[in-house]
Amino acid sequence: MTELAEGEARPLIEKTGSRRPTGLLLVAVPVLLMAWLIIWPIFNAFARTVWRPDADGDYGFNLSSYVFFFSDQYSINNLTITLWTTGMCALLLLVICLPIAIYLRFSHGRLPAYVQALAIFPMFVPSIILAYAFIRVLGPNGMVDILLNSVGLPKIRTPYLTPWGPVIGLVWDNIPLTVLILLAGLGSVSNQAIEAARDVGARRLQVFWYIILPRISNSVLVAISFAVLGIFSSFTLPYLLGPASPEMMGPFMNRTFREVNDPLNAITQAVITFCFCIAFGLFYVRSVARNQGK
Amino acid sequence: MKRRTFMMSAAGAAAGMAILPRMSFAAEGVIDWYTSSDSNILDFWTNIVKPAFEAAHPGVTINLVDAGDGAGIIAISERAMAAKQTNTDPQADFFESADPLLPAGAIEAGIFVNIKEAGLSNYSKLNPAGIQSDYSLPYRGSQVLLAYDTTKLDPADAPKSWDDLVTWIKANPGQFVYNRPDKGGSGGNFVRRAIHQANGLDPSMFTVDNYTQEFGDETLGKAWELLKDIAPSLYDNGAYSSGNTQSIQLLSQGVVTMVPVWSDQVLQAIDQGVLPDTTGLVQLQDLALVGGFTRSVVLETGTNRDAALQLADFMLSEEIQSAILTELGGFPGVSWDHIDPELRERFADIVPQSIPTFPGGAWEAAINDGWYRNVAPNVDRNS
Repeated sequence: MTELAEGEARPLIEKTGSRRPTGLLLVAVPVLLMAWLIIWPIFNAFARTVWRPDADGDYGFNLSSYVFFFSDQYSINNLTITLWTTGMCALLLLVICLPIAIYLRFSHGRLPAYVQALAIFPMFVPSIILAYAFIRVLGPNGMVDILLNSVGLPKIRTPYLTPWGPVIGLVWDNIPLTVLILLAGLGSVSNQAIEAARDVGARRLQVFWYIILPRISNSVLVAISFAVLGIFSSFTLPYLLGPASPEMMGPFMNRTFREVNDPLNAITQAVITFCFCIAFGLFYVRSVARNQGK
Repeated sequence: MKRRTFMMSAAGAAAGMAILPRMSFAAEGVIDWYTSSDSNILDFWTNIVKPAFEAAHPGVTINLVDAGDGAGIIAISERAMAAKQTNTDPQADFFESADPLLPAGAIEAGIFVNIKEAGLSNYSKLNPAGIQSDYSLPYRGSQVLLAYDTTKLDPADAPKSWDDLVTWIKANPGQFVYNRPDKGGSGGNFVRRAIHQANGLDPSMFTVDNYTQEFGDETLGKAWELLKDIAPSLYDNGAYSSGNTQSIQLLSQGVVTMVPVWSDQVLQAIDQGVLPDTTGLVQLQDLALVGGFTRSVVLETGTNRDAALQLADFMLSEEIQSAILTELGGFPGVSWDHIDPELRERFADIVPQSIPTFPGGAWEAAINDGWYRNVAPNVDRNS
C-alpha cells in the first residue's frame, strides 16, 4: 500500500526509457519468421541470379539471365500480358466495387445486407471451383450459350482460353476484399459532411467528387494495391482460364521451373515479378505511413 | 502482470513447438509410398492393391501418400540423397511413378535399388518395350487415342492415319483441340506423334541420352512446322486446353468433335457417364500415338527396402496386372503372353500391337519450351 501511495500514478502508455521490451518480444516471432521464410529467400534469389559460376566454374557478377529476359520477345510478351491483366482488373474492380461500397454505406435495411452477403460470397469460393464454374457458365456451349440459344440469339464469343478469361475470374475473386476495404474507408465520411454539401446545393456527382473521394482516396489506394499484388502473381485462374500464350508470370515461372527444368531463368522471372510487386507494395506502405502520421 | 507473463510464455512455447522440426521415424513394416499420378491411380492403390498386398503379406502395411506431381517426387528424392550422406532414414520406400534419372545424380548417389538385379521373381515377365532403366519398374502403361463424337463423325470416316487426321482437321475447322504438351500427356503425346511424323515415323531415332541442341532444333523444328500448319484450324482458331480433363470437358460439352485422350482416362470417363456412350475411339494405324509406361522406383536406403521390393514383385503378379486392365483401364506392364487369354481377347480393340514411346530427360524440357515459343504464339486468334 505504502509503495503505491508514494509512487505517482502509472501512465497508460509508458514513456520512460526503462519500459520493458515486452512489445518487441511479442512481435519478434512473426518478424523472425518473416525474415527467415520471406526476406531471406528474396535476397538469396536475387544473389543467386547475379552472383553465379560461369562456364569455368568461377563465381562472378553476371547479369546475363536478366539480359536474356528483357531481350527475349516471348518473355516480354508474358510480362506485358501480366501488366495488362493487372491493370484491367484494377480498373474493373474500381468500377464495380466503388458503387457497391457507396450503396452499402449509405443505405439501410434488409436489401443492403443481402447485397453485402452477395459481395462477400466470392471470398468463400476456392478459385479452382470458380474456374470450373466459369467454364460451365461462360465456356463454349455453357449455360449462357444455352440460354441465348433458347431465345434464338447467337452464341457469345466465349472468353475461355483468351486473355479475358483470367480477367473476369480474377475480378470476381477480388471483389470481396476490395468492397470491404472501400467500405471501411467510407466509414470516415461523415453523414454531416454530405448533408452540409447537399444543403449548399451540391449534386450527387459533386458530392462524390469533392466530399467522398478525397476522404477515401487512401482506402482506394490500399484496396487497389492489395488486389494488384495478388493479381500480378496469381496462378490458378490464369492457368485454367487463360490462353497457352502469352501466359501470365505465375504460370510462366512455374512452367520454367518445373517443366523446362530451368531454375535460373525461373528465379530471374521471380525476381522481376517481385520488383514489380514491391513497387505496388511501396504505394501501400506509403499510404499507411501517411495515415499513421496524421 | 503475472497473467500476461504466463500468456507470453505459453504463446512462445506454442510457437516454438510449431516451428521445431517434427521428429518422426519411419516405422518398420510400414512401406512409405508416394505417387505423382492422378487421383484415379491413388484410388486404384487404395481400393485394390493395398488390401490385396496386405492380405498376402501379414505384418506389412502400405502408407499411401500423394506427393502431388513429379516435382514433389523429385523433392523427396533430393531429401533421400541428403539423408544418405548423413546415414539417416529417408522416410520413403517406394515411388509409384518416378524417373530414376531425376534428380540428376540420384543413381550415382546410390539411393535407388537396381531392380534388374534385385532378384524379383516376376522381372522376366516385363514388356521389354517399357524398360528404360535398370532402376525403374514399368508396371503399367497407357496410350493416347483419339476420342470423337460418333453423332458428328461416322466411325467409318474416322481418320486412321496422320495425313487423314490433318485433312479432317482442316476440313472441319474448330472441331479439334489438344492440350498444352506440359499440362497433360494426351496433348503432350499428340505433339510427340507430330515429332515422329516429321522425322520419318521412326521412334528409335530418339533416345533418352541423344538430345543435343542441333539435333533437337532440327528434328523438333520440323514438327513445329506441322503443328503450326494445323493451328488455325483448331478450336477457337488455335486455342489449347490446359489439361487432359479440360480436353475431355470440351468434348463432353459438344464444343469439339475430336480430342486426343489417355486410354485409361477416357474409358473411365465413358464408364462414369462423363462422356456419352456415343463416344468413339480410334488409333492411328500408320504409327500409333505415343504411349507411356509408369515406372516405379524402390529406395535403396529406405527402412523397408525388402518389403518394398516384395511390393514391386507383387505389382507384376497376374492378379494386379489383370486388375490394371479391368479396374484401371490401363495396359499391363508385363508382356501380353503373361495375361489371361480371356482378357487379351476382351481388350484387343484398344490395345495396340506396339506402343511407340518417346524418351524423357532433356527431350522433355526441349519439347515443352519449344512448343510454347514456336507453336503457341504465331496465331492471330481474332482473325
